[in-house]
Amino acid sequence: MRRTCLFACALGLAPPALADGGADVAWTTRYIGELHAGRGDSPFALGLPLTSFGRDSQRLEQEARGKLGPVSLLLTGTLSGQEGAEPKSHLLANEAYADFGSGADRFSIGKKILSAGVGYGFRPLDVLQRERRLRMLPPQLDGVPQLSWQRFTADDAWSVILANPGHGERGDPKTDGSLALRWYGRRDGVDLHGVARASQRFGLEAGGGFSAVPSPALELHGEFLAASRGERMAPQDGALAGPALLAPTGNLQTEVVHAPVKALGGFTWTTETGWSFVGEAWWDGTAPSAADWQRLAAQAAARNALAGLPGVPAAAVAGSQAAATRMFQDPGFGRRAALAHLAWSDPAGGNWSGYADLLATLEDRGWTATAALAWQGDRTRMDVGVRRYGGAPASAYRLLPERGIAFIGVSLSY
Amino acid sequence: MSRFLALLLALACAPAFGQDVQALLKQADAYRLTAQAERVETEVRVLKSGSLDKTRLYNVYVKPGRRSLVVFRSPSERGQKLLMLGDDFWLVLPTSQRPLRITPLQKLLGDASTGDVASLTWAEDYDGRVVGETEKQGVLCLKLDIAGQRKGVSYPRIVLYLAKSDHHPVYAELYVASDKLAKEAVYEMGRVGGKPQVVAMILTDRIQRDRVTEVHYLSRAAKELPDGYYNPAFLVRSDIEN
Repeated sequence: MRRTCLFACALGLAPPALADGGADVAWTTRYIGELHAGRGDSPFALGLPLTSFGRDSQRLEQEARGKLGPVSLLLTGTLSGQEGAEPKSHLLANEAYADFGSGADRFSIGKKILSAGVGYGFRPLDVLQRERRLRMLPPQLDGVPQLSWQRFTADDAWSVILANPGHGERGDPKTDGSLALRWYGRRDGVDLHGVARASQRFGLEAGGGFSAVPSPALELHGEFLAASRGERMAPQDGALAGPALLAPTGNLQTEVVHAPVKALGGFTWTTETGWSFVGEAWWDGTAPSAADWQRLAAQAAARNALAGLPGVPAAAVAGSQAAATRMFQDPGFGRRAALAHLAWSDPAGGNWSGYADLLATLEDRGWTATAALAWQGDRTRMDVGVRRYGGAPASAYRLLPERGIAFIGVSLSY
Repeated sequence: MSRFLALLLALACAPAFGQDVQALLKQADAYRLTAQAERVETEVRVLKSGSLDKTRLYNVYVKPGRRSLVVFRSPSERGQKLLMLGDDFWLVLPTSQRPLRITPLQKLLGDASTGDVASLTWAEDYDGRVVGETEKQGVLCLKLDIAGQRKGVSYPRIVLYLAKSDHHPVYAELYVASDKLAKEAVYEMGRVGGKPQVVAMILTDRIQRDRVTEVHYLSRAAKELPDGYYNPAFLVRSDIEN
């Protein structure tokens, strides 16, 4: 009941209350629906009833963005539902921070989105926000509690950021405590970026990047990051057999990667007729290898072979298969990947825009293709699109227990 | 006889043709931008087949040195900012909160071309010559053919018509990089603070002919932001506006 009241407040009652307080707030109501097509021949099929794969879902969001006195706010209330599950609601302060200071020295305190990087499909320099890329109609980013000092000149900006103060190593790297130094500089029309971050989990991470526009139609960008340590999820090594395959962890383990490197290079080609093409290729030293996915598929097949044998509980097989699908929560499915993204916007300021893209994982020869269309009116926006997964039999995208997703989004801003 | 008349006309126009184009452009700029550094509140109305399709609101902070900062104010664009520094452009989208480097061609896209909203002067960017005199919108005008002197200008070529009497802008033909006529602009004059000023620019799309964009300058106020505000990394701060 309390949650329902909070959500009602977020949906409709809060605007006049804040407006009375002299707030400068814009509101957006958004509906997103997703139809998921499961993959019937998935090797994880026995465990899928215990996961969310293949289930249709929808969510209704109410967003408030603006300022309340000196505090910048981004608040979202979400009511979400999934086929076969009870609807859930929650309120989130994605951002609540105050920027202050004068002259060259500026400060910021509170929860704030701290995205960084110059890439489109992958961003090695995004060491604080750790934004998940290429999601369809994603929810608003959730900021990072931080305290920062920044120094600005016309061409340089230095930032010292204490993120998640008081935290050591937490469950998610994004919530780890860390101290970061970021630098931005502009030299001869080229944007230069640098970052160094120290955290208990990854030790020291350091990297740099650039973005340049050598002609009115072409933008070039690149970035890299080196770390003293990294982490990745991978199936257990060695030949497993019998009960050893039925571990509740799905035989997945978190491995330490020594001195991983991440790098990306890309370009954007644009035309005056509204077309743009992004081409990128990258290396992610903490993503699973093709051998990892092959091992995952082999272990899933071996578990399926155990199902139905005397003395093997079906629930144990299903539970272990379901747990093994956690491997698909990794934001990157392959160490070597390439992206081609073609988009169009009406150069005359029309209502329609659209894009199609193809992301290929080069080591295991998997791919995902997405096409979407958007209509933007004065205050209303509609998005529709489809995403499809495929590739070689042991590739991550082919092993994913879904064939594809169709999605629709409708939003109203006021 | 006709040759004689043509010669007479050419001689009559010669003084105008010889005018200093930079001086003319500076005088024309003064009708669009009243102070060196200014905050211009701008409303854009996009009309489709004569009906209002959408309205957008922007605050534009202009500073000498070809620096413009555009803060998007409409509910559906809230959180966006565009920065122009000479030939370089950055965009911040609310979904990511990081400055994205964009090409000069990309700044022409969007609900209203932010290049049309953010560019308020010609003298710093263009040069050319006076090519004739003609009547436009019922006003006797000097016809200028001017070309962008830098790669980042929204329109590499403009045929600009300035009133012969006081050099206020009357009409312009705006050409894109392929030398295709993209838009025609009509400048509406009014009195602001007792002085004649451009109060609106009506852009008719020549590619999609049912599309008209009205750019209304709602207010102008002298305001100079510190240099640091025009640093792309500053765009994610809320010190100006959110």
